[in-house]
Amino acid sequence: MRARQPKSPQPGTPLPYVDHFHLDPADLRKVLGLALSSGGRFAEIYMERRSYDFVNMEEDIIKETAESVSLGLGIRVLSGDKTGFGYTNDLSLDKVKKAALTAAAIALGKAKASPARVREKRLSKSAYRVAIPADKAGLKKKIALVQEAYGAAQKSDRRIAKVKAYFQDSLSHIAILNSDGLFVRDTRPMVKLVCVAISEMNGQREFGFWGGGGRVGMEYFREVLTPRAIGERAAREAVLLVEAKDAPAGEMPIVLAPGHSGVLIHEAVGHLLEADFNRKKTSIFWNKMGKKIGSDLVTIYDDPTIPAFRGSYSVDDEGTLPHRTLLIEKGVVRGFLQDRLSAGLMSQPLNGHGRRQDYSHAPIPRMANTYIERGEHAPEEIIGSVKKGFYVASLSGGQVEDSGKFTFSVSLGYLIEDGKLTAPVKQATLIGTNVDILKRIEMTGPDLEFGLQTGTCSKEGQDVPVADGCPTLKISKMTVGGRS
Amino acid sequence: MKPAIASPRPSDLRALAEKLVDQARKLGADEVEVSVVDGREFDVDVRRGRVEHLVEAGSRVCGLKVIKGKRTAYASSSDLAPGTLQRLVRNAVRRAELASPDEFAGLAPLSKERVDAAALDLFDPAVTALDSKTKIRLARETERIALQDKRITNSYGANFGTNELRSVLANSNGFVGEFEQTYCELSVGLQAGDTDNKVEDSWFSSKRHFRDLASPQDIARKAVERTVRQLRPRKVKTQNVPVIFEPTQTSWLVGFLFGCVTGTAVYQKATFLAGKLGQKIGNGLVTVIDDGLMPGELGTRPFDSDGLPSRRTTVVEKGILKNFLCNTYAARKLKLKSTGNADGGGVSPNNFYLEPGTAVPRDIIAGTEKGLILIRTLGHGLNSVSGDISRGAFGLWVENGEIAYPVSEITISGNLGTILSSIEAVGNDLEFFSPVTGPTIKVAEMTVAGS
Repeated sequence: MRARQPKSPQPGTPLPYVDHFHLDPADLRKVLGLALSSGGRFAEIYMERRSYDFVNMEEDIIKETAESVSLGLGIRVLSGDKTGFGYTNDLSLDKVKKAALTAAAIALGKAKASPARVREKRLSKSAYRVAIPADKAGLKKKIALVQEAYGAAQKSDRRIAKVKAYFQDSLSHIAILNSDGLFVRDTRPMVKLVCVAISEMNGQREFGFWGGGGRVGMEYFREVLTPRAIGERAAREAVLLVEAKDAPAGEMPIVLAPGHSGVLIHEAVGHLLEADFNRKKTSIFWNKMGKKIGSDLVTIYDDPTIPAFRGSYSVDDEGTLPHRTLLIEKGVVRGFLQDRLSAGLMSQPLNGHGRRQDYSHAPIPRMANTYIERGEHAPEEIIGSVKKGFYVASLSGGQVEDSGKFTFSVSLGYLIEDGKLTAPVKQATLIGTNVDILKRIEMTGPDLEFGLQTGTCSKEGQDVPVADGCPTLKISKMTVGGRS
Repeated sequence: MKPAIASPRPSDLRALAEKLVDQARKLGADEVEVSVVDGREFDVDVRRGRVEHLVEAGSRVCGLKVIKGKRTAYASSSDLAPGTLQRLVRNAVRRAELASPDEFAGLAPLSKERVDAAALDLFDPAVTALDSKTKIRLARETERIALQDKRITNSYGANFGTNELRSVLANSNGFVGEFEQTYCELSVGLQAGDTDNKVEDSWFSSKRHFRDLASPQDIARKAVERTVRQLRPRKVKTQNVPVIFEPTQTSWLVGFLFGCVTGTAVYQKATFLAGKLGQKIGNGLVTVIDDGLMPGELGTRPFDSDGLPSRRTTVVEKGILKNFLCNTYAARKLKLKSTGNADGGGVSPNNFYLEPGTAVPRDIIAGTEKGLILIRTLGHGLNSVSGDISRGAFGLWVENGEIAYPVSEITISGNLGTILSSIEAVGNDLEFFSPVTGPTIKVAEMTVAGS
């Protein structure tokens, strides 16, 4: 029997000219045809042009400015559970075709599918909130923000020995075209202003960090979080830390401050509910769907649609419209974060969590904005319930492995003694196993907040912007890695 | 329809760099530096015997630094279309005026010394000649051997990756240099234990030359051994004990030390070692070297991103802090000499290592009455400003000179300054599995927090 020849792509709805990429839609359809020429069941072209601006201040001067352009195209072919991927930042047609053939080769056979008619998916809801676009604001305005944050940190305390501040903005134009006929475009803004202050006292030095931003415009730094507030807060952290004692060591009750403590949820729960780890059965959660793994107070969502947030997007990086996804309901596992590959193999619906760092990576399941739902205990009542424990005021990050062991690093904490916050304590890593810790969440407050809009999550070498949130929360017992 | 824009061929990259230097000079820049990197990448993941993910690609990036009136602007682009690059050069020259004048800004003066890139043995044609089938076979073979061990219950898969890079650097002081390099890496990640009692680990070999790469057998055996030794861990009580760092752990400790001895961190006061040049920061067992000239090693290069020739620098000698590692800028700020560690705007290590001692690792364990052998860490918890360390840890508990049982869900904490002064033994097992590395060491005391 003769094998079927690959069909030439159907003439479909004319595509709008793919502006930033100088590629002809008719050519792109041919490229998709090539990508399917070895028998892949699905092919996709992801095009991206991202421009960045950067301003950096240290040693009392605007030390440098920078402008970057990142342009490229990634082609992915799926065949069963296999992924072929090629990318190029040379968008000449022969290089693009070569990338398509590279990706196609993951399937070993003759063409089975051909690209469907293409229709553009229009995005009706935007996750971005921009009044004054950073890319149009001009560098002088950005320099002024950096100087203001820097000056505020420097002036706020005599013990501040050094300050650094930087501003970064980016605008990313993406276009996704796939063999199911999907064509979607998105333009994603991002801004970030960060200040680091170093304090010095009796030969000891410590640093404080604060910042903000998100998928917003320049107005954010007037209306939501001012550069001055960022500078002063960084300085305050630095000064508190240089006066702080060493953290205690051993198991004790923990109270998390609302906001950035959401890192705990990100590490303890979020990663191990990413579908790829469960499809491969490496995650401790793979056999726990519908099972109770935490206390009744544990209800966790991931929501990529929260307007203006750093982790938000109007469409995910494989063209799926995202929605708020319930991960854990009253302690029971209810959902995994899906991308197209895992959802297909697990016969689960897509929920818009396929993300990639840029055009040079294939998408994988990722978090966006992850948070634990609020509860009913007043924060004072929560702190008041602890005789001797540890209060986590700010965090610098965390890590988890598939067994459920996770850490998060506290940059500033307080001792809790007889139900009151007492001495500030510095740097300590906390460690636990998620299924133990989730059972020990015994109080949550009504004060849900999101942490700094500066966070980045790393997985398999890919960095994506995220945000985390949590209310004041008590864990009955966890190991604190201080000193004894 | 607009025609596709042609980008330069690899052979033109040097000409492109020189042309951009000229253009920026003509537009009014006092000093210009241009780098172009052209890379080819191959990467395959094999899991449970099947190819799961395969990537093959080529990419380029161009970086630009412009100084005008002692004011600096940077630009970079992965779009090498002439129109884009010309716009970036124009913008950079114009934008430089918005930065503050900085008396320390400026390119490195042209060095008379040149390191012969060919003699450094950074490029292996055998890596570029490997076909996809061979690479897939090596990954598959590594995983297959590992999975033969019945204690292994799941696999993260095996990976084989190669990189070929060609780097060009040109600046307006007359420096032009280029070199080619290759990398290849084979690794496998494993799990042992059932779902609720999982342990995991991995092993890898990363080299510039294919002939130096460890065999699938060696990598698989080591990955299995590292994984299964963690089965059935206990949690120990909070206590202060000696801690023995395996080489993979000494490696992050040495990497943390690197972050504390860069000239950049020093002038920013972002390190507890600022101001300690010439002082004793460790005991006599501590000698730390940065060496950019070791033939064939991962951290070797003929010149740094300022165009200065690589060299060997003694950073710590028998506990005395001898040198901070500087790029040209940090060196000027600190009135020191550059050590050839420039990397973009910052400072990066070449081959940066703790010199080996004479102790046999087995004897270090045998001589420990009670303590922790640190085998893995989780989380970050390193603060270069204070030197403080607090990390999640996995280890093997030592009692009466013997490994008694694995431990997990604990943390280790201490301070790098204290650690350097209280190293009791340095092993003879230095290997350059990574550019930042060290042998087994024993630290007199750290806090282990557990139950």
